[in-house]
Amino acid sequence: MTKGFNFYLLEYTFKHIIRNGFKNLFLTVVMTLLVALLASTFFLSNALKLEYTKKIQNTPDIIITDTKAMRETLIDENLVSDLLSINGVSLALPRVYGAYYFSKADTIFKVIGVDEFETYPDKSLNALLLKNTLDENSMLVSKSVAKILKENYYDSYFNFVNADGTLKKVIIDKTFESKNSFREEYLIVMPKCTAKEIFSYPSSMVTDIAVMVANGEEIGFIAKKIETLLPNAKVNIKEDLLVEYENRINFKSGFFLTIFIISFFTYFVIIYDKISGLSSEEKREVGILKAIGWRVSDILNAKLYEGLIISLSAYVIGIIIAFIYVYILGAPLLKSIFLNAISLLDDCELLFRVDYETLALLFFLSVPLYIAATIIPSWSVATHEADEVMR
Amino acid sequence: MIELQSVRKEYKGGIVALDGVDLKLLEGELVVLRGVSGSGKSSILSLIAGLSKPTTGEVIVDKKRISKLADHFSTLYRRENIGFIFQKYNLIPTLSVQENILLPLVPQNLPKKELESRLQRELINFNIESKRDVMVRNLSGGEQQRCAIARANINNPKIILADEPTANLDEKLSLEFIKLIKEMKSQSRTIVIATHDPLFFDLACVDRVITVKNGKLL
Repeated sequence: MTKGFNFYLLEYTFKHIIRNGFKNLFLTVVMTLLVALLASTFFLSNALKLEYTKKIQNTPDIIITDTKAMRETLIDENLVSDLLSINGVSLALPRVYGAYYFSKADTIFKVIGVDEFETYPDKSLNALLLKNTLDENSMLVSKSVAKILKENYYDSYFNFVNADGTLKKVIIDKTFESKNSFREEYLIVMPKCTAKEIFSYPSSMVTDIAVMVANGEEIGFIAKKIETLLPNAKVNIKEDLLVEYENRINFKSGFFLTIFIISFFTYFVIIYDKISGLSSEEKREVGILKAIGWRVSDILNAKLYEGLIISLSAYVIGIIIAFIYVYILGAPLLKSIFLNAISLLDDCELLFRVDYETLALLFFLSVPLYIAATIIPSWSVATHEADEVMR
Repeated sequence: MIELQSVRKEYKGGIVALDGVDLKLLEGELVVLRGVSGSGKSSILSLIAGLSKPTTGEVIVDKKRISKLADHFSTLYRRENIGFIFQKYNLIPTLSVQENILLPLVPQNLPKKELESRLQRELINFNIESKRDVMVRNLSGGEQQRCAIARANINNPKIILADEPTANLDEKLSLEFIKLIKEMKSQSRTIVIATHDPLFFDLACVDRVITVKNGKLL
């Protein structure tokens, strides 16, 4: 007997897989699709997590809005001085922003009101304002917005329909490269007073007040102080936002859970079918192999290779399909379902990151389980007397 | 060489296949076990091959108590000593002739040259060289049997056991089989044939014909 890896056994296994061609092909295809579906969902979910984590880096530490009848509403910008008097608050910034629906193009623009003397937590917004100066009737629009306006014959200006029904003509000063991320593709930047006019805000009212805290450890403490100072205000801290996004995107969300349950149910049906026993043909073959001098370990090795070849192929092909589907094709269909399911309607770029946890989780769920389900029934047959098995 | 001592074999459900069988076979002997279906002939072959174990009693081959061997060693014993020709040939129908013949050698991981030379020898000996790459399911009964014999012989076993080898063959093919058996006997193999085919009973090459009835030797 020659020592070393037994290629003849591997060759026999390959032939065995091919001999049961349809059954094994069907199993491999179903397992591949399951791995691809789960991996796509994981990859998509992770890409969105990465996206919102990046997004949240630019979010203020605390955001304060007013509430009336338990609904968030505009807040008085004069509260800024009260907020700045709290120890530890380094910045209190009244912000004006909102969504503007352009019915002709069936598109929602995000309008941000700015003041050239203010510094914003969003670095890209600061950079944009450093390069450009805005007067009362001009605006900066993202290239996506400019494209839509141009398609509707607004080359140099746009007539906004104010909340009170009047028209407001605003000149397009410049366009800028739009970020293809959450809610930022269709962005318009204009002076605060112009934005207030379009949204018909009272002059002293703003959408919210953004607060920055010098010491990150004190955010929670300062948020409590603000709640005491402004009992009617709703105080959102950055961490809460992070948790909210995570809850929407991670596997606890109903959509993800549904995919998870369906995939696992299908997978366990396959495993159950495998583990529930061999067919009479397969039993007979095990008996023949024993009768002609194969040890139980030889038979189990062949089964190990069989399980490994099928499950590993399904795993590798499934991961490759998911990779292409999510990161190269941009997860068509699944992304829109996902984004709708978590109420993040805007488009975003799916950022690539090698997620070892996901790869390992899917590997351990698919490969070892399938191998075990292949080996166990053969082991239970092979340990009987060959004579009994062949009968 | 082969000895069965007070062997009793009971299958599940209390069916007694053999009851107090004592048998001694000498090296190089060709013995025919005759008897009707269910008389216990196949059970004797199965015990000698180590495919099953006696309920009581001993099976001794070359002074080794093979009835006491653990499954692992009993398989190794079979691999080294036994060539079994089954009644229904027990070939794997979806493998080719050469793949079936080489099957007993797969776990042994022998060098490719040796595999090829052994295969070639068997293909020529049993006149199935032209069918080398044909799927076994596409062979005639006689060809399937020659393939089964070639597989049984590939390990150069000392003992050849044949269970109803001519049950599925016509007279011409049965005579061909007898010719092959004669050749094997000339190589000093110990051969045990379980059959109820009268063709075997009066052959000059057969050393003994033992009748098995209701699990006992007459």
